[in-house]
Amino acid sequence: MRKIKDYLPWIIYFIFFIGLLIINPGPHYIHLAARIIIYGLYAVAFNLIYGTTGLVSFGHALFYGIGAYVTGMLVKASTPELFYLYILIGAFGAAFISFFIGLLTLRLTGIYFTMLTLAFAQLVWGLTFKLYHFTGGDDGIQAIAKPTLLAGGVTKYYLFSFVVVTISIYILWRIKRSPFGSVLSGIRQNPQRITFLGLNVYKNQLKAFIISAFFAGIAGGLYAGLDGSIHPDMLHWPTSGNAILMATIGGMSTFFGPVVGAGILTGLEEIVGKYTEYWSFYIGIVVLIVVLLFPNGVLGIKKFTGSKNIEEKEKEVVCNTGN
Amino acid sequence: MSAILEIKNLNKHFGGIHVANNINMSIKKGEMSAIIGPNGAGKTTLFNLITGFIPSDDGKVFFEGQDITNTRPETIVKLGIIRAFQVASVFLEETVYDNIYLASLAHFNKSAKIFADRMIFKDVHEHTEFILKKLGLFDCKDLKASELSHGDMKALDIAIALTLQPKILLLDEPTAGMAPEERFKMMHLIKELHDYFKLTLVFIEHDMDIVFSIAQTIRVLVQGQLIAEGNPDYIRQHEGVIEAYLGKEVF
Repeated sequence: MRKIKDYLPWIIYFIFFIGLLIINPGPHYIHLAARIIIYGLYAVAFNLIYGTTGLVSFGHALFYGIGAYVTGMLVKASTPELFYLYILIGAFGAAFISFFIGLLTLRLTGIYFTMLTLAFAQLVWGLTFKLYHFTGGDDGIQAIAKPTLLAGGVTKYYLFSFVVVTISIYILWRIKRSPFGSVLSGIRQNPQRITFLGLNVYKNQLKAFIISAFFAGIAGGLYAGLDGSIHPDMLHWPTSGNAILMATIGGMSTFFGPVVGAGILTGLEEIVGKYTEYWSFYIGIVVLIVVLLFPNGVLGIKKFTGSKNIEEKEKEVVCNTGN
Repeated sequence: MSAILEIKNLNKHFGGIHVANNINMSIKKGEMSAIIGPNGAGKTTLFNLITGFIPSDDGKVFFEGQDITNTRPETIVKLGIIRAFQVASVFLEETVYDNIYLASLAHFNKSAKIFADRMIFKDVHEHTEFILKKLGLFDCKDLKASELSHGDMKALDIAIALTLQPKILLLDEPTAGMAPEERFKMMHLIKELHDYFKLTLVFIEHDMDIVFSIAQTIRVLVQGQLIAEGNPDYIRQHEGVIEAYLGKEVF
C-alpha cells in the first residue's frame, strides 16, 4: 500500500509530461511544457534548501544563472556539439561557487542568511552588466546553437529536457528519502537536537546548499538551450523570488509541490499574458488566494484532511505507561 | 569506582555574573547523581559547559582522562556524553518512531548516506524498536511527536538521548512541568534505565522527593558555586545547604 502511495506522484508526472507528447498540442504548448519542466527542476532543487532544510535562500538565481551563462558562453566560444558536456560544466560551476557562498552565508541564520544570499546574487547580476564584452551585458547572449541531435523543432529539445529533468529529480527524490534527507529535515525542525545527536548542522547545510546549486545550474543550462538566448534577468532577484513562489504555491513540504508550483506560475503567465500586459498583477492575486486558502501549498492540502481521528487520540493514554 | 568525568576549576561569566565559580567535581562511573540549587544557580549552564554548547572562560573538563574543554558539541556527543533538555527537544513533525529512527541512524553512523533509502537498515530498525519498548513508547510509535502529552514528550527526549547509548547521560529537569503522578512514573523510569543500562547519570531536579529517593550523590550549586557534595543524608543535614536552599521547614 505504502509503496503505491509513494510512487503515485511519479505516475502522474509521467502521464502528464509523456501524455503531452502523445496529444501533441503544437510547438507553442510543447515549448510551454519545456519551460514548466525546466522551472520545475529549478524549484525542486531550490526546495531541498527551502522546504526540506528550512533555509530561505534569496539568491538561487545566481546558480541558475551560472548554469545558463557557462553553458551559453561555452557553446558560443566553441561548438554546440558539446552542449551536453557544457550543461554539466555549468552545473559544476554553480556547485563550485555555491561552496564558497555557502561557507560564508550559512554561518548566519534567518533573515541575515536570506539577505546575504540576495546580496551575492545581485553582485554577480551587476557584474554581468558591467562586463559587456564578456557576458554581452544588458543584451545577454543570443543565437546559442543547439547540437545537431536536438536541432529542428522544439519536440526533440522537450524530450531531451524531460529526460535530464527526470533523472535530476529522481536523484533529488532519492536524496530526500535518504538518511541525509532525514537529517536535513531534522535541521529544519530542531537544529539544536541535530547537534546533540553528534551531527554537524553547518556541514550538512553546506552539502545541501551545494547539491541544490548543482541542480539549479542544470536547470539554467537547459534553459539556455531552449530559447538559444540568455540574459541578465536570469540572475536578477525576481528569478530567485520565483523559486520561492513556485515552491510555496505548490507545497514546500511535499516533493513534487514545486513542480506543480512551476506549472501554475508558468501557466498563469502564459494564459493571463495573452489578455493583458499587467499579467503580474493577476498572478499576484492568484498567489495571494493560494497562500491564504492553502497555507501549505496546493499539494499540501491533503495534510489537512485525513489526519488525527478519534482512535489515534485515545492512543495517547496508552502511550503514557512509562513501562 | 573511578571518575568518568572530571571538572577542574571551571569558570564562566555572563557579563558581570559569575555563573560558574571555580567549580570542581568528579563524577564516578555508574553513579546516579543529582544537581540541585535555586533558580539561576548555574545548573543548566554547567551542562552547557560540559557538553560544549557554550565555551568556558577558564578551567578544564576531562572525560575518561581526555581533555574535552571547549571541544565542539558534536565531538563531545560522539565521545558518549549525551544530554536531554529541560524543554523537550524532539522533532515535532515526525512520528515517535521516526524521531528514534533518526537518532539511531546517527548512532550507527549512517546519517551521511545520501542515496540509500533511509528505511532499509535492519539494525537501525531493531535498535529503534528496542529503545521504544524500553521507554514504554512503542504503543504510540505512529503518533506525531507534537501530539504527545507533556510527559511522553519528555520521555521521547530521553529516549533520543538513550538511543545514542551514552556513557554519561545528563538530564535537565526530567520532571519539569509534570503532574505529580507523571513525575512518579518518570522517576521510576530513570531509576530503571540507570540500573538496566548501567548508566552514569547526572540529573538536575527541583523535586526534592525525587532527588532524595533516587540520587546516590547530591551536589548543591548556589550562585555558580558548588557549596556541598555528598550522599543524601549528608546533604540533608548540611547547614549551608539548608540555609541557602532547602529551608528548615522542608524537613
